Amino acid sequence: MNQSEPIIRFCGIEKRYGAFTALKSVNLEIFKGELFGFLGPNGAGKTTLIRILTGIIQPSGGQIFIGPYDLFSQPDKAKAMLGYVPDRPYLYEKLTPLEYFEFMGGLYNVALERILSKGEEMLRMFDLWDRRNELIESFSHGMKQKVAMCAAILHDPEIFVVDEPTVGLDPRSVKLAKNFFKQLVANGKTVFLTTHTLSVAQDLCHRLAIIRQGDIVALGTMNELQKRASMSDSNLEDVFLKITEEELEQQTNIL
Amino acid sequence: MNSLQLVSPAFKKFRRVFSHRNRKVLAFLLLGSFFTAALIYYGLYRFLEYVGRAPMLGDTFGPVLGALLVSKLLEMLFLTLFFMVLFSSVIAALSSFFLNEELPTLMSSPLPIGLIFRSRLLLMTIESSWMVLVFFMPALFAFATALNANWPAYLIFPFFLLFFVMLPNLAGGFTALALAAFFPIRQMKKVFQFLSILVLTGLIFFLRSLEAEKLLNPSYFKDISQYILSLELPLISYSPSSWLHKASMNLFHNNTGEALLQIAPLAICSVLGIFLLNLFAGRFYRQSWQLSMEAVDNQVLGLEWLRRVIVWPLRYFDPVFRVIANKEVTTFVRDPAVFSQIFMMVAIVFVYGYNLSILPLKDIPSLYSGELNDTLVFLNGPFIGFIVASIGMRFVFPSISMEGRAFWAVKSSPVSPRKILFTKLFLYLVPMVFLGIVLCMVTNSVFKVSHPILLYLSFFNVILITLVITSLAIGVGAVYADFSAESPLKIAGSYGGFIYMLLSGFYIINLLALEVYPMYRLFFNRFYVVRGSSGIVLIAISAILLLACTAIWVYLPFRKGLDTIENYEPE
Repeated sequence: MNQSEPIIRFCGIEKRYGAFTALKSVNLEIFKGELFGFLGPNGAGKTTLIRILTGIIQPSGGQIFIGPYDLFSQPDKAKAMLGYVPDRPYLYEKLTPLEYFEFMGGLYNVALERILSKGEEMLRMFDLWDRRNELIESFSHGMKQKVAMCAAILHDPEIFVVDEPTVGLDPRSVKLAKNFFKQLVANGKTVFLTTHTLSVAQDLCHRLAIIRQGDIVALGTMNELQKRASMSDSNLEDVFLKITEEELEQQTNIL
Repeated sequence: MNSLQLVSPAFKKFRRVFSHRNRKVLAFLLLGSFFTAALIYYGLYRFLEYVGRAPMLGDTFGPVLGALLVSKLLEMLFLTLFFMVLFSSVIAALSSFFLNEELPTLMSSPLPIGLIFRSRLLLMTIESSWMVLVFFMPALFAFATALNANWPAYLIFPFFLLFFVMLPNLAGGFTALALAAFFPIRQMKKVFQFLSILVLTGLIFFLRSLEAEKLLNPSYFKDISQYILSLELPLISYSPSSWLHKASMNLFHNNTGEALLQIAPLAICSVLGIFLLNLFAGRFYRQSWQLSMEAVDNQVLGLEWLRRVIVWPLRYFDPVFRVIANKEVTTFVRDPAVFSQIFMMVAIVFVYGYNLSILPLKDIPSLYSGELNDTLVFLNGPFIGFIVASIGMRFVFPSISMEGRAFWAVKSSPVSPRKILFTKLFLYLVPMVFLGIVLCMVTNSVFKVSHPILLYLSFFNVILITLVITSLAIGVGAVYADFSAESPLKIAGSYGGFIYMLLSGFYIINLLALEVYPMYRLFFNRFYVVRGSSGIVLIAISAILLLACTAIWVYLPFRKGLDTIENYEPE
């Protein structure tokens, strides 16, 4: 991990929906080769931040740099560095997995040979090779999630952005996914993930951020978060609950 | 709790569609709809009134044959209506009984199965019948007026119609319940969507093959008595459409008592049908629903050869265009409900060409036929425009919505929304222009165009119209995109689809208005040689205005669609 080289920089990212503020000036740096976990209770703003990072929605203010590129002024170059797996794997249902890979690969200008070889490798890894000629519409949630994961890696992105990667996956697939992320990081890639499965975050992530009501309330390694919560021997679940409850109390006191 | 309360979420959803629309636009649309309905009513009334008198058949035979003809037309309309409701009811039943998203919650609740079923039956009946009734009502009232019906007939007739649409809906309900016990539901829904299009296509050919225009031309008849006999025979005896036909004819002739007697079989069958279907559903509905949950989705990669043929040339294009085009073609070919629409479109195009080919231009004195021919050639472009617009509504307009919830994949990719829209515009423009030109060539050959300028102008018009119509379909389709819609047919029949058709019509009127002066000069020049350059200047101004207007008509909807897509936030 190269701590000196941020590959993602969030600079004052805000998102408002009318009177409601989903993100309050988020500033965050993710470093190259890092496996970064982004945690928070429901409705805290995790998915909103990820959707802004992947260019799906526009922020109300702020900037994001992906590598040397400004996401909003050079979206094509910035987005080419990202591979994204959403929390709900809505895919083109009338295509087979291989046809879906061809479609996604084409959008990222990937050579057909690479799509086919990488696609086969990934489908075999996730035990979907035998179902390569079936339409995606017949797949379960977990299978679709795996197809989305395979498609996100086809263009060999520098950064892998994953929203709730373990939802709907069976235990074997969860293990496969975790190993897959570790392998990516070992190969010098960066992984930015959100999850509610705190054991997965604790197992995998080098650094973690906790967001609450649109604000980042804690940031650091597992040890740093334990210190921040004054719970040196506790697991991430206890630390998470302590920090988020503390924050809530503080806000209530202020009010 | 009653069945009505169970369908209230669907009504709320329907209300939400309109609640955030601009009030002025809604009022305008409402007025436009009333105006269109009034136009259909009055136009058809005048036509029926003329057919009823049939002056070309003489004073003796005219009114007798005319009355029979009007009656026959009404029977044909009821028969068409019956088949339309029957097929749409099977599709609606499969959706409402088995695929509705509220069903898992309802089925796991302690509500009695009969109550759940009745609520779904109500939803299905409304879904399958409302559009047919709304569109046919002005036409049916025109028949009532043409047959001199008194005002009570207008009040009673909707109840007759209610019994009439109940029967195909009940048949559809029985069919759907029975099918669910044996076949995978999603597959059956597609099969029925496919079949319904085939039946409608067949119906178009059947109605055209009756050659109604011959009925008004005495020279076609050899044996008048045979002809009268054939008119008096019902199209299908002892059928709901023949019962309704007899009852309606009595009602419109103000024999209300007789009409009520004639409608009795229909009413008895409807009430009995509701009772039997309820019994049947009480016994089998939950079982069928469970079977439908176990059934797998469509695994058949049908028409794979056609897909391969269409996508083969795409390999030579840029990768983004190739993959988007490839996906569009694949999705199109693999959805029977969508590609089967082509059959209906082919039937409409065929009937249009055939209608033109039998126009009695030869019967008109030669001095005027040239002018009439040229006027028809001039108006043919806009007519082709309407055909192309209706094809665009079914195939091009839903193309943005059909990206569905998977649109995040495109939005998060490096491909800009502008490129996506341009790719779709180009992709659909090619077949649309091709279709327009083929239609233009065929119809020009039918008309035997006398003036070369007219010939070029007809092609020029068709190219401009298809360009605007395709841009409108993509742009308006993006502005009114519904990414959660399941079927392109629903998207085509949506509020946005209506706006698209309205705007297509406005452009065609715009084009005609700007070409009226050059056309007038073209005709005028045949009789008088025009001196001076003022005419040329005005023609040049018309041409420049036409090109400028066309550019605006292409640009504005596209720009508006692009803005919407750029700001769209997928789920």
